[in-house]
Amino acid sequence: MSTRFLTRRPQYRACLFSLVAVIAVVAFSESAAVRAQQRLSKRYPTGKNVRIELKNISGTITVESWNRDEIKLTATMESPSAHIVPRQIDETLLVDVMADNRGRGDVGDVNFVLQVPVNSSVDLETRRGQISVSNVRGTSVRAHVSSEGDIELSNITASQVIAQNTIGNIYFEGEFSRGGTYELKSNKGDITVRIPGDSAFRLIATSAKKISLGQFWNDGFKALSDGRRYIGDVGDGRSSVSVTTFSGTITFMRK
Amino acid sequence: MNCEKCEELIGDLLDGALNSRDELTLNSHLEECLDCASVRRDLDSILSFCRANRGQYSAVPNDKALWLRIRNVIEASNADEPTSNAVVATRKPFLSSWMSRRWELSLPQLSASAAAMVLIVSLVTFVGLRRLDRSAPVVTPPPVLREATNLNDRLLQQRQVISYWNQRIELNKARWNPTMRETFDRNMKVIDDQVSQSLNDLNLNPHDEVSEQMLNEALNDKLSLLKEFADL
Repeated sequence: MSTRFLTRRPQYRACLFSLVAVIAVVAFSESAAVRAQQRLSKRYPTGKNVRIELKNISGTITVESWNRDEIKLTATMESPSAHIVPRQIDETLLVDVMADNRGRGDVGDVNFVLQVPVNSSVDLETRRGQISVSNVRGTSVRAHVSSEGDIELSNITASQVIAQNTIGNIYFEGEFSRGGTYELKSNKGDITVRIPGDSAFRLIATSAKKISLGQFWNDGFKALSDGRRYIGDVGDGRSSVSVTTFSGTITFMRK
Repeated sequence: MNCEKCEELIGDLLDGALNSRDELTLNSHLEECLDCASVRRDLDSILSFCRANRGQYSAVPNDKALWLRIRNVIEASNADEPTSNAVVATRKPFLSSWMSRRWELSLPQLSASAAAMVLIVSLVTFVGLRRLDRSAPVVTPPPVLREATNLNDRLLQQRQVISYWNQRIELNKARWNPTMRETFDRNMKVIDDQVSQSLNDLNLNPHDEVSEQMLNEALNDKLSLLKEFADL
Protein backbone atom coordinates (compact mmCIF):
# COMPACT_ATOMS: atom_id res chain seq x y z
CA MET A 1 0.00 0.00 0.00
CA SER A 2 1.34 3.42 -0.82
CA THR A 3 1.85 5.72 2.13
CA ARG A 4 2.75 8.73 0.07
CA PHE A 5 -0.62 10.39 0.63
CA LEU A 6 0.15 10.62 4.33
CA THR A 7 3.18 12.75 3.73
CA ARG A 8 1.71 14.82 0.92
CA ARG A 9 -1.78 15.49 2.24
CA PRO A 10 -1.77 16.86 5.82
CA GLN A 11 -5.60 16.78 6.01
CA TYR A 12 -5.56 12.99 5.45
CA ARG A 13 -3.02 12.57 8.18
CA ALA A 14 -5.06 14.64 10.64
CA CYS A 15 -8.16 12.66 9.73
CA LEU A 16 -6.42 9.35 10.28
CA PHE A 17 -4.98 10.37 13.65
CA SER A 18 -8.38 11.62 14.83
CA LEU A 19 -9.99 8.33 13.84
CA VAL A 20 -7.35 6.31 15.68
CA ALA A 21 -7.75 8.51 18.76
CA VAL A 22 -11.55 8.10 18.77
CA ILE A 23 -11.27 4.31 18.41
CA ALA A 24 -8.70 4.16 21.21
CA VAL A 25 -10.86 6.26 23.56
CA VAL A 26 -13.97 4.16 22.87
CA ALA A 27 -12.09 0.87 23.28
CA PHE A 28 -10.43 2.01 26.49
CA SER A 29 -13.66 3.25 28.09
CA GLU A 30 -15.49 0.03 27.13
CA SER A 31 -12.78 -2.22 28.53
CA ALA A 32 -12.52 -0.11 31.69
CA ALA A 33 -16.26 -0.47 32.24
CA VAL A 34 -16.09 -4.21 31.69
CA ARG A 35 -13.18 -4.46 34.09
CA ALA A 36 -15.05 -2.51 36.74
CA GLN A 37 -18.30 -4.46 36.71
CA GLN A 38 -20.03 -7.10 34.72
CA ARG A 39 -23.76 -7.31 34.50
CA LEU A 40 -26.00 -10.19 33.63
CA SER A 41 -29.70 -9.73 33.03
CA LYS A 42 -32.01 -12.53 31.99
CA ARG A 43 -35.71 -13.26 31.93
CA TYR A 44 -37.28 -16.67 32.40
CA PRO A 45 -40.91 -17.33 31.51
CA THR A 46 -42.59 -19.37 34.24
CA GLY A 47 -45.93 -20.31 35.67
CA LYS A 48 -47.42 -18.79 38.77
CA ASN A 49 -45.84 -21.09 41.37
CA VAL A 50 -42.15 -20.71 41.11
CA ARG A 51 -39.20 -21.82 43.20
CA ILE A 52 -35.93 -19.91 43.33
CA GLU A 53 -32.78 -21.55 44.65
CA LEU A 54 -29.85 -19.19 44.85
CA LYS A 55 -26.48 -19.97 46.41
CA ASN A 56 -24.16 -17.00 46.49
CA ILE A 57 -20.70 -16.63 47.98
CA SER A 58 -20.58 -12.95 48.76
CA GLY A 59 -22.87 -10.07 47.88
CA THR A 60 -26.41 -8.87 48.35
CA ILE A 61 -29.53 -10.73 47.29
CA THR A 62 -32.75 -8.83 46.72
CA VAL A 63 -35.95 -10.62 45.80
CA GLU A 64 -39.18 -8.80 45.10
CA SER A 65 -42.42 -9.86 43.50
CA TRP A 66 -44.09 -8.42 40.43
CA ASN A 67 -47.29 -9.07 38.51
CA ARG A 68 -45.78 -11.12 35.71
CA ASP A 69 -45.43 -14.82 35.12
CA GLU A 70 -41.72 -14.58 34.60
CA ILE A 71 -38.53 -14.21 36.56
CA LYS A 72 -36.08 -11.43 35.89
CA LEU A 73 -32.61 -12.03 37.21
CA THR A 74 -30.03 -9.28 37.32
CA ALA A 75 -26.56 -9.99 38.62
CA THR A 76 -23.81 -7.44 39.04
CA MET A 77 -20.42 -9.04 39.30
CA GLU A 78 -17.52 -7.27 40.90
CA SER A 79 -14.93 -9.47 39.25
CA PRO A 80 -14.74 -10.06 35.48
CA SER A 81 -13.72 -13.64 36.19
CA ALA A 82 -17.07 -14.39 37.88
CA HIS A 83 -19.22 -16.80 35.95
CA ILE A 84 -22.93 -17.38 36.44
CA VAL A 85 -25.00 -20.00 34.68
CA PRO A 86 -28.63 -19.91 35.89
CA ARG A 87 -30.52 -23.10 35.12
CA GLN A 88 -34.24 -23.41 34.80
CA ILE A 89 -35.76 -26.79 35.53
CA ASP A 90 -39.52 -26.75 35.15
CA GLU A 91 -40.73 -24.10 37.56
CA THR A 92 -37.45 -23.89 39.47
CA LEU A 93 -34.63 -21.44 38.78
CA LEU A 94 -31.27 -22.57 40.14
CA VAL A 95 -28.27 -20.30 40.55
CA ASP A 96 -25.16 -21.68 42.24
CA VAL A 97 -22.30 -19.19 42.22
CA MET A 98 -20.09 -21.59 44.18
CA ALA A 99 -20.50 -24.43 41.69
CA ASP A 100 -20.27 -22.15 38.66
CA ASN A 101 -16.96 -20.69 39.83
CA ARG A 102 -15.19 -23.69 41.29
CA GLY A 103 -11.50 -23.46 40.52
CA ARG A 104 -11.70 -19.83 39.37
CA GLY A 105 -10.31 -18.37 42.58
CA ASP A 106 -11.79 -15.33 44.26
CA VAL A 107 -14.78 -14.01 42.31
CA GLY A 108 -15.59 -11.13 44.66
CA ASP A 109 -19.08 -9.87 45.32
CA VAL A 110 -21.98 -10.84 43.12
CA ASN A 111 -25.11 -8.79 43.80
CA PHE A 112 -28.42 -10.26 42.70
CA VAL A 113 -31.78 -8.66 42.10
CA LEU A 114 -34.62 -11.06 41.30
CA GLN A 115 -38.12 -10.13 40.31
CA VAL A 116 -40.42 -13.10 40.73
CA PRO A 117 -44.12 -13.98 40.55
CA VAL A 118 -45.96 -13.36 43.83
CA ASN A 119 -46.49 -17.02 44.67
CA SER A 120 -42.83 -17.92 44.58
CA SER A 121 -40.91 -19.96 47.10
CA VAL A 122 -37.38 -18.75 47.68
CA ASP A 123 -34.35 -20.50 49.09
CA LEU A 124 -31.44 -18.07 49.38
CA GLU A 125 -27.97 -18.67 50.73
CA THR A 126 -24.84 -16.60 50.91
CA ARG A 127 -21.62 -16.80 52.87
CA ARG A 128 -21.62 -13.05 53.37
CA GLY A 129 -24.00 -10.25 52.47
CA GLN A 130 -27.45 -8.88 53.00
CA ILE A 131 -30.61 -10.71 51.97
CA SER A 132 -33.83 -8.89 51.33
CA VAL A 133 -37.13 -10.49 50.30
CA SER A 134 -40.34 -8.54 49.87
CA ASN A 135 -43.98 -9.12 48.88
CA VAL A 136 -43.69 -12.85 48.40
CA ARG A 137 -46.55 -15.24 49.13
CA GLY A 138 -45.09 -18.63 48.26
CA THR A 139 -44.96 -21.81 50.31
CA SER A 140 -41.57 -21.22 51.85
CA VAL A 141 -38.98 -18.52 52.33
CA ARG A 142 -35.47 -19.42 53.49
CA ALA A 143 -32.71 -16.88 53.93
CA HIS A 144 -29.40 -18.14 55.23
CA VAL A 145 -26.31 -16.00 55.73
CA SER A 146 -23.44 -18.16 56.97
CA SER A 147 -21.51 -15.27 58.46
CA GLU A 148 -22.57 -11.64 58.51
CA GLY A 149 -25.35 -9.81 56.75
CA ASP A 150 -28.75 -8.45 57.67
CA ILE A 151 -31.89 -10.30 56.65
CA GLU A 152 -35.00 -8.34 55.85
CA LEU A 153 -38.23 -10.13 55.03
CA SER A 154 -41.07 -7.71 54.28
CA ASN A 155 -44.70 -8.45 53.59
CA ILE A 156 -44.19 -12.19 53.61
CA THR A 157 -46.98 -14.74 53.66
CA ALA A 158 -45.51 -18.22 53.67
CA SER A 159 -46.20 -21.33 55.69
CA GLN A 160 -42.49 -21.90 56.32
CA VAL A 161 -39.97 -19.18 57.00
CA ILE A 162 -36.38 -19.72 58.05
CA ALA A 163 -33.97 -16.82 58.52
CA GLN A 164 -30.54 -17.35 59.99
CA ASN A 165 -27.28 -15.45 60.21
CA THR A 166 -24.28 -15.22 62.53
CA ILE A 167 -23.80 -11.45 62.77
CA GLY A 168 -26.57 -9.13 61.62
CA ASN A 169 -30.11 -8.08 62.33
CA ILE A 170 -33.18 -9.99 61.22
CA TYR A 171 -36.41 -8.24 60.41
CA PHE A 172 -39.61 -10.12 59.66
CA GLU A 173 -42.77 -8.39 58.64
CA GLY A 174 -45.70 -10.48 57.46
CA GLU A 175 -48.28 -12.96 58.59
CA PHE A 176 -48.07 -16.26 60.39
CA SER A 177 -50.12 -18.82 58.46
CA ARG A 178 -52.17 -21.40 60.29
CA GLY A 179 -50.04 -24.50 60.86
CA GLY A 180 -46.93 -22.73 59.61
CA THR A 181 -43.44 -22.82 61.12
CA TYR A 182 -41.22 -19.78 61.55
CA GLU A 183 -37.64 -19.90 62.70
CA LEU A 184 -35.54 -16.78 63.09
CA LYS A 185 -32.06 -17.14 64.51
CA SER A 186 -29.04 -14.90 64.88
CA ASN A 187 -25.89 -15.33 66.93
CA LYS A 188 -25.23 -11.64 67.27
CA GLY A 189 -27.99 -9.39 66.05
CA ASP A 190 -31.35 -7.96 66.95
CA ILE A 191 -34.50 -9.70 65.76
CA THR A 192 -37.64 -7.71 65.09
CA VAL A 193 -40.97 -9.36 64.26
CA ARG A 194 -43.81 -7.19 62.98
CA ILE A 195 -47.10 -9.06 62.63
CA PRO A 196 -50.85 -8.33 62.71
CA GLY A 197 -52.34 -7.87 66.16
CA ASP A 198 -54.61 -10.89 65.77
CA SER A 199 -51.79 -13.30 65.02
CA ALA A 200 -52.01 -16.68 66.74
CA PHE A 201 -48.89 -18.71 67.42
CA ARG A 202 -46.87 -20.73 69.88
CA LEU A 203 -43.64 -18.91 70.69
CA ILE A 204 -40.24 -19.98 71.97
CA ALA A 205 -38.09 -16.86 72.29
CA THR A 206 -34.52 -17.11 73.56
CA SER A 207 -32.15 -14.23 74.17
CA ALA A 208 -29.44 -13.59 76.72
CA LYS A 209 -30.09 -9.87 76.40
CA LYS A 210 -33.70 -8.74 76.19
CA ILE A 211 -37.04 -10.13 75.02
CA SER A 212 -39.85 -7.67 74.40
CA LEU A 213 -43.18 -9.20 73.38
CA GLY A 214 -45.16 -5.95 73.48
CA GLN A 215 -48.87 -6.46 73.14
CA PHE A 216 -48.38 -10.16 72.46
CA TRP A 217 -47.31 -10.74 76.05
CA ASN A 218 -49.78 -12.62 78.24
CA ASP A 219 -49.66 -14.27 81.62
CA GLY A 220 -49.54 -17.69 80.05
CA PHE A 221 -45.89 -17.16 79.09
CA LYS A 222 -43.33 -19.09 81.09
CA ALA A 223 -39.93 -17.57 81.76
CA LEU A 224 -36.98 -19.98 81.93
CA SER A 225 -33.31 -19.55 82.95
CA ASP A 226 -33.68 -16.15 84.55
CA GLY A 227 -35.82 -14.78 81.76
CA ARG A 228 -33.48 -15.83 78.95
CA ARG A 229 -36.25 -17.87 77.39
CA TYR A 230 -39.99 -17.34 77.10
CA ILE A 231 -42.38 -20.04 76.03
CA GLY A 232 -46.09 -19.45 75.54
CA ASP A 233 -49.09 -19.27 73.24
CA VAL A 234 -50.55 -16.20 71.66
CA GLY A 235 -54.17 -16.75 70.62
CA ASP A 236 -54.84 -20.38 69.81
CA GLY A 237 -51.19 -21.07 68.98
CA ARG A 238 -51.96 -22.39 65.54
CA SER A 239 -48.49 -21.70 64.13
CA SER A 240 -45.08 -22.41 65.61
CA VAL A 241 -42.58 -19.59 66.05
CA SER A 242 -39.01 -19.89 67.31
CA VAL A 243 -36.89 -16.80 67.72
CA THR A 244 -33.32 -17.05 69.04
CA THR A 245 -30.53 -14.56 69.37
CA PHE A 246 -27.57 -15.19 71.62
CA SER A 247 -26.40 -11.64 72.08
CA GLY A 248 -29.12 -9.42 70.70
CA THR A 249 -32.63 -8.31 71.51
CA ILE A 250 -35.97 -9.76 70.43
CA THR A 251 -38.81 -7.37 69.74
CA PHE A 252 -42.36 -8.20 68.70
CA MET A 253 -44.37 -5.37 67.21
CA ARG A 254 -47.91 -5.01 66.01
CA LYS A 255 -48.36 -4.30 62.33
CA MET B 1 3.49 -35.28 -27.82
CA ASN B 2 6.01 -34.69 -25.06
CA CYS B 3 8.77 -37.03 -23.88
CA GLU B 4 7.01 -38.00 -20.66
CA LYS B 5 3.91 -39.20 -22.47
CA CYS B 6 6.11 -40.90 -25.04
CA GLU B 7 7.97 -42.90 -22.35
CA GLU B 8 4.65 -44.03 -20.93
CA LEU B 9 3.54 -45.32 -24.30
CA ILE B 10 6.78 -46.99 -25.49
CA GLY B 11 5.99 -50.18 -23.55
CA ASP B 12 2.55 -50.43 -25.18
CA LEU B 13 4.10 -49.75 -28.58
CA LEU B 14 6.54 -52.64 -28.16
CA ASP B 15 3.71 -54.90 -26.98
CA GLY B 16 1.66 -53.87 -30.01
CA ALA B 17 -1.12 -52.62 -27.80
CA LEU B 18 -1.44 -49.08 -29.20
CA ASN B 19 -4.14 -47.97 -31.60
CA SER B 20 -3.10 -46.75 -35.02
CA ARG B 21 -3.55 -43.05 -34.26
CA ASP B 22 -1.42 -43.14 -31.06
CA GLU B 23 1.15 -45.30 -32.84
CA LEU B 24 1.42 -42.72 -35.62
CA THR B 25 1.84 -39.82 -33.20
CA LEU B 26 4.39 -41.76 -31.14
CA ASN B 27 6.46 -42.78 -34.17
CA SER B 28 6.57 -39.22 -35.44
CA HIS B 29 7.84 -38.10 -31.99
CA LEU B 30 10.45 -40.88 -31.93
CA GLU B 31 11.72 -39.73 -35.32
CA GLU B 32 12.27 -36.23 -33.96
CA CYS B 33 13.45 -37.02 -30.38
CA LEU B 34 16.76 -38.82 -30.04
CA ASP B 35 16.42 -39.43 -26.27
CA CYS B 36 13.06 -41.18 -26.60
CA ALA B 37 14.34 -43.16 -29.56
CA SER B 38 17.25 -44.32 -27.39
CA VAL B 39 14.86 -45.39 -24.62
CA ARG B 40 12.84 -47.31 -27.16
CA ARG B 41 15.96 -49.05 -28.44
CA ASP B 42 17.09 -50.05 -24.94
CA LEU B 43 13.72 -51.40 -23.97
CA ASP B 44 13.38 -53.21 -27.27
CA SER B 45 16.75 -54.91 -26.83
CA ILE B 46 15.87 -56.01 -23.23
CA LEU B 47 12.59 -57.44 -24.39
CA SER B 48 14.22 -59.21 -27.35
CA PHE B 49 16.82 -60.74 -25.08
CA CYS B 50 14.17 -61.93 -22.63
CA ARG B 51 12.05 -63.42 -25.40
CA ALA B 52 15.08 -65.17 -26.92
CA ASN B 53 16.22 -66.70 -23.62
CA ARG B 54 12.83 -67.51 -22.11
CA GLY B 55 12.98 -70.65 -19.88
CA GLN B 56 16.77 -70.87 -19.99
CA TYR B 57 17.64 -69.13 -16.71
CA SER B 58 19.47 -71.24 -14.22
CA ALA B 59 18.44 -71.07 -10.59
CA VAL B 60 20.54 -68.91 -8.33
CA PRO B 61 22.96 -71.19 -6.52
CA ASN B 62 22.57 -69.49 -3.16
CA ASP B 63 19.68 -67.08 -3.07
CA LYS B 64 20.33 -66.01 0.54
CA ALA B 65 23.91 -65.05 -0.30
CA LEU B 66 22.69 -63.16 -3.35
CA TRP B 67 20.17 -61.14 -1.34
CA LEU B 68 22.86 -60.42 1.23
CA ARG B 69 25.13 -59.05 -1.46
CA ILE B 70 22.37 -56.92 -2.93
CA ARG B 71 21.59 -55.53 0.53
CA ASN B 72 25.26 -54.74 1.14
CA VAL B 73 25.49 -52.89 -2.15
CA ILE B 74 22.37 -50.84 -1.35
CA GLU B 75 23.59 -50.03 2.17
CA ALA B 76 27.01 -49.08 0.88
CA SER B 77 25.50 -46.75 -1.71
CA ASN B 78 23.24 -45.21 0.98
CA ALA B 79 26.23 -44.67 3.24
CA ASP B 80 28.11 -42.92 0.44
CA GLU B 81 25.21 -40.71 -0.53
CA PRO B 82 25.30 -38.10 2.32
CA THR B 83 29.01 -37.46 1.85
CA SER B 84 28.66 -36.96 -1.85
CA ASN B 85 25.65 -34.72 -1.53
CA ALA B 86 26.75 -33.05 1.67
CA VAL B 87 27.37 -29.68 0.12
CA VAL B 88 24.08 -29.23 -1.68
CA ALA B 89 21.67 -31.35 0.26
CA THR B 90 20.14 -30.19 3.54
CA ARG B 91 19.71 -32.92 6.07
CA LYS B 92 16.17 -33.91 7.00
CA PRO B 93 15.33 -33.01 10.60
CA PHE B 94 15.66 -35.85 13.07
CA LEU B 95 11.97 -35.89 13.99
CA SER B 96 10.71 -36.03 10.40
CA SER B 97 13.24 -38.70 9.45
CA TRP B 98 12.24 -40.65 12.57
CA MET B 99 8.58 -40.26 11.75
CA SER B 100 9.00 -41.20 8.13
CA ARG B 101 11.07 -44.26 9.01
CA ARG B 102 9.45 -47.55 8.29
CA TRP B 103 9.07 -49.63 11.43
CA GLU B 104 8.95 -53.29 10.86
CA LEU B 105 8.98 -55.41 13.98
CA SER B 106 8.79 -59.13 14.35
CA LEU B 107 6.20 -60.63 16.69
CA PRO B 108 8.64 -61.17 19.59
CA GLN B 109 9.95 -57.61 19.16
CA LEU B 110 6.40 -56.27 19.15
CA SER B 111 5.50 -58.24 22.29
CA ALA B 112 8.65 -57.08 24.06
CA SER B 113 7.92 -53.44 23.12
CA ALA B 114 4.35 -53.69 24.42
CA ALA B 115 5.54 -55.25 27.68
CA ALA B 116 8.18 -52.53 28.10
CA MET B 117 5.58 -49.81 27.54
CA VAL B 118 3.21 -51.33 30.10
CA LEU B 119 6.07 -51.54 32.60
CA ILE B 120 7.13 -47.93 32.04
CA VAL B 121 3.57 -46.58 32.31
CA SER B 122 2.99 -48.56 35.52
CA LEU B 123 6.20 -47.27 37.06
CA VAL B 124 5.46 -43.65 36.12
CA THR B 125 1.92 -43.90 37.51
CA PHE B 126 3.13 -45.47 40.74
CA VAL B 127 5.86 -42.87 41.29
CA GLY B 128 3.44 -40.05 40.40
CA LEU B 129 0.84 -41.23 42.88
CA ARG B 130 3.44 -41.60 45.61
CA ARG B 131 4.60 -38.02 45.01
CA LEU B 132 1.02 -36.72 44.97
CA ASP B 133 0.33 -38.42 48.29
CA ARG B 134 3.45 -36.91 49.80
CA SER B 135 2.75 -33.39 48.52
CA ALA B 136 -0.95 -33.41 49.55
CA PRO B 137 -1.49 -32.02 53.01
CA VAL B 138 -2.47 -34.64 55.50
CA VAL B 139 -5.88 -34.10 56.97
CA THR B 140 -7.28 -36.91 58.94
CA PRO B 141 -10.92 -37.73 58.20
CA PRO B 142 -13.48 -36.19 60.51
CA PRO B 143 -14.31 -38.28 63.56
CA VAL B 144 -17.83 -39.63 63.52
CA LEU B 145 -20.14 -38.14 66.08
CA ARG B 146 -21.59 -40.79 68.32
CA GLU B 147 -24.28 -40.51 70.94
CA ALA B 148 -22.48 -39.31 74.03
CA THR B 149 -24.20 -39.51 77.33
CA ASN B 150 -22.56 -36.72 79.23
CA LEU B 151 -21.67 -33.16 78.35
CA ASN B 152 -17.89 -33.66 78.51
CA ASP B 153 -17.94 -36.59 76.07
CA ARG B 154 -20.12 -34.61 73.73
CA LEU B 155 -17.83 -31.61 73.92
CA LEU B 156 -14.80 -33.78 73.26
CA GLN B 157 -16.38 -35.32 70.20
CA GLN B 158 -17.48 -31.94 68.88
CA ARG B 159 -13.99 -30.56 69.37
CA GLN B 160 -12.46 -33.43 67.42
CA VAL B 161 -14.77 -32.78 64.48
CA ILE B 162 -14.18 -29.03 64.73
CA SER B 163 -10.44 -29.64 64.76
CA TYR B 164 -10.69 -31.54 61.48
CA TRP B 165 -12.62 -28.74 59.78
CA ASN B 166 -10.25 -26.17 61.26
CA GLN B 167 -7.37 -27.92 59.51
CA ARG B 168 -9.20 -27.77 56.22
CA ILE B 169 -9.99 -24.09 56.72
CA GLU B 170 -6.32 -23.33 57.41
CA LEU B 171 -5.37 -25.04 54.16
CA ASN B 172 -7.83 -23.00 52.10
CA LYS B 173 -7.66 -19.69 53.92
CA ALA B 174 -4.70 -18.40 51.92
CA ARG B 175 -6.88 -18.41 48.79
CA TRP B 176 -9.56 -16.14 50.29
CA ASN B 177 -9.56 -12.40 49.84
CA PRO B 178 -8.71 -10.30 52.93
CA THR B 179 -12.36 -9.28 53.46
CA MET B 180 -13.48 -12.88 53.54
CA ARG B 181 -10.70 -13.80 55.98
CA GLU B 182 -11.63 -10.94 58.30
CA THR B 183 -15.33 -11.86 58.07
CA PHE B 184 -14.61 -15.46 58.94
CA ASP B 185 -12.39 -14.57 61.89
CA ARG B 186 -14.89 -12.06 63.24
CA ASN B 187 -17.79 -14.52 63.01
CA MET B 188 -15.77 -17.34 64.47
CA LYS B 189 -14.88 -15.13 67.42
CA VAL B 190 -18.57 -14.36 68.02
CA ILE B 191 -19.39 -18.06 68.15
CA ASP B 192 -16.35 -18.85 70.31
CA ASP B 193 -17.47 -16.17 72.76
CA GLN B 194 -20.87 -17.84 72.91
CA VAL B 195 -19.32 -21.21 73.60
CA SER B 196 -17.26 -19.69 76.42
CA GLN B 197 -20.27 -17.84 77.80
CA SER B 198 -22.43 -20.96 77.76
CA LEU B 199 -19.68 -22.99 79.44
CA ASN B 200 -19.38 -20.35 82.16
CA ASP B 201 -23.16 -20.39 82.66
CA LEU B 202 -23.06 -24.18 82.89
CA ASN B 203 -20.28 -24.04 85.46
CA LEU B 204 -22.42 -21.77 87.59
CA ASN B 205 -25.58 -23.76 87.03
CA PRO B 206 -24.79 -27.25 85.67
CA HIS B 207 -28.46 -28.18 85.21
CA ASP B 208 -29.49 -25.11 83.27
CA GLU B 209 -31.31 -26.47 80.23
CA VAL B 210 -31.18 -23.23 78.25
CA SER B 211 -27.40 -22.83 78.75
CA GLU B 212 -26.84 -26.41 77.66
CA GLN B 213 -28.99 -25.92 74.60
CA MET B 214 -27.24 -22.66 73.74
CA LEU B 215 -23.88 -24.40 74.05
CA ASN B 216 -25.00 -27.17 71.72
CA GLU B 217 -26.34 -24.71 69.20
CA ALA B 218 -23.20 -22.59 69.35
CA LEU B 219 -21.06 -25.66 68.69
CA ASN B 220 -23.31 -26.70 65.82
CA ASP B 221 -23.16 -23.18 64.42
CA LYS B 222 -19.38 -23.26 64.63
CA LEU B 223 -19.30 -26.54 62.77
CA SER B 224 -21.65 -25.21 60.07
CA LEU B 225 -19.57 -22.06 59.63
CA LEU B 226 -16.39 -24.11 59.33
CA LYS B 227 -17.94 -26.50 56.81
CA GLU B 228 -19.38 -23.72 54.67
CA PHE B 229 -16.15 -21.75 54.56
CA ALA B 230 -14.06 -24.88 54.01
CA ASP B 231 -15.70 -25.11 50.56
CA LEU B 232 -14.40 -21.70 49.50
